[in-house]
Amino acid sequence: MEKKKRAGGLGWRRKGFILAFLAPTLTAFAIFYLYPIVTVIFTSFCKWDYTNIKTPQFWGWDELWDNYQYIFQTYPYFWEALRNSSAWALLGAVVQVPVATLIALAFSRKIKGVRTIRNIYIIPNMISTAAMGMIFLQLYSPLYGVVNPVIRLFNKGFDENILLLKGPAFWAMTCAYIFFTGTTTLLILGNIMAVPEDVREAAVLDGADGLKQDWYITLPMIKGTLKTVSVLAATSGFLLYNEVYFLTKGAAGTYSISYVIRELAITSPRTQFGRANTVAVVQILAGMVIIVLINGLYSISWKKKKEGCR
Amino acid sequence: MRENGKRKKRASLSGATSLSGGTKILTYISLAWALLVALMPLVWLLLSSFKEDPLARPGFQLPESICLDGYISTFRDLHVMRYFGNSMVIAFVSVVLSILMISMSAYVVARLDFKGKGIISILLYSTMFIPPTALTYPVYNLVNRLHIYDTRSALILIYSCSGIAISFFVIKNYYTNIPKEMEEAARIDGCGYVQTWWRVIFPIARPGIMTAAVLAFLNNWNEYYWASLVMITREKMTVPALLSTFTTAFRTNYNGLFSAMVVIILPPIILYCVFSKFFVEALSGGAVKG
Repeated sequence: MEKKKRAGGLGWRRKGFILAFLAPTLTAFAIFYLYPIVTVIFTSFCKWDYTNIKTPQFWGWDELWDNYQYIFQTYPYFWEALRNSSAWALLGAVVQVPVATLIALAFSRKIKGVRTIRNIYIIPNMISTAAMGMIFLQLYSPLYGVVNPVIRLFNKGFDENILLLKGPAFWAMTCAYIFFTGTTTLLILGNIMAVPEDVREAAVLDGADGLKQDWYITLPMIKGTLKTVSVLAATSGFLLYNEVYFLTKGAAGTYSISYVIRELAITSPRTQFGRANTVAVVQILAGMVIIVLINGLYSISWKKKKEGCR
Repeated sequence: MRENGKRKKRASLSGATSLSGGTKILTYISLAWALLVALMPLVWLLLSSFKEDPLARPGFQLPESICLDGYISTFRDLHVMRYFGNSMVIAFVSVVLSILMISMSAYVVARLDFKGKGIISILLYSTMFIPPTALTYPVYNLVNRLHIYDTRSALILIYSCSGIAISFFVIKNYYTNIPKEMEEAARIDGCGYVQTWWRVIFPIARPGIMTAAVLAFLNNWNEYYWASLVMITREKMTVPALLSTFTTAFRTNYNGLFSAMVVIILPPIILYCVFSKFFVEALSGGAVKG
């Protein structure tokens, strides 16, 4: 009570302090998030391209969806990009997270040398994804790479660049990033280690060990982290840009949504800012869908498991 | 002492759980896979950088003799140190700016009650789920309108403003765990709000703030998307942006290309090897001992 009074007496100072300490972050938020998002949403309904760079022009209510129509029906790469990005999002959740979890479980065991292997496994994640893309571009080179000689073991005389083959190019690009789960693995490992010792001990007494213990005790206890990590993996798969740029530049059916946005807005000789922002709106919405979907899936599978236990 | 006892307990426990066959096999496969995935590309890159002509000896063949020409020209002709300098300055300044402002705001949100606190938390949290690439054109446009296109300030602005969410929550969590008595003691000693934060709370929260700073620095150092968007003058580029000029810059000089790439990925690897303990703890949320 008394404290509250004092705070009231210092009201203006307190207020000033709060405002002053919040202001910088809120300004940054406004500059980098609020203003751009409002712009993106508004100008996705505007005619705005290389002919009227300075002044975006609202399509009017009658032609409100003109940009969207163009993107969905006329623009040649949109559906390819959406399909690829969705596939990468899915692969993030169903390949990256299980692989990361398996490796995290392996790292959680007490085996000689496990710490060294763990530290080595993180190294590729310390390097820029741009550099990793560049390294894989070399690995896939038909002239001096590693992949072609391996293919030649099964298919003599193969001398094409797999990054230019429709189909294989998509998978080659996927392999260039999907197995580097170092940071995800560490997050999961951190949670496994935080599972209280006595819980594990009780499981051991119950006769659960190794895989059984992991499946029934450890994994359910880190469910929250697995969900978060799945959202992150799926989102980053959906946003893939660097790998596309360094490996194929969208050739052989490998466009991604981010690549389309950048091409429409910046790289293309006939830039179309309004339409780029239309794709951006789609990207933002798709991101939300991913979050909702994964949250939903986890809560459903969790309920089932609980009922199964009873 | 306590730490020691804990360790003993763990040891005895692991002794009790000698792994069964299937688990053991799966564990070893996972470990082997982890090693292979992490090392294969890097070892190949290093190997190729020593080959005088990677075309003549492709794949994992060992070089005939060790050729260091590429490394010499990376420093002499490519002036790689200049780009390390650019990256360093840009990443460092933006980390200092963003961490300072976030550690101020996070303190207010973590320790004081005021109207609109919930909304601010939600706003900042939501930024985690806004795809930065969706903001490409507005940000590009803003940079142009501020007349900072193709300057280091543009990247510093972008890096200080982006990635707010993660730093905010790492630091806020740390503040929340500091006992209230610390502040009360400081207030009784006559410290104002700012002084309490700067003299008492900030130093205590330093480990959490450092964690956020290191993660942010690594992100900024490795960032490619914005770096390649707002910089065109080669001399001002950061290291990742420089990479995209390589395919044309080196053309058929593969030895040079490989050497330059090794040099470019080396600083983060060295930094990591020296501070791996710190990185592992930071990335795992403090639960894994490095």
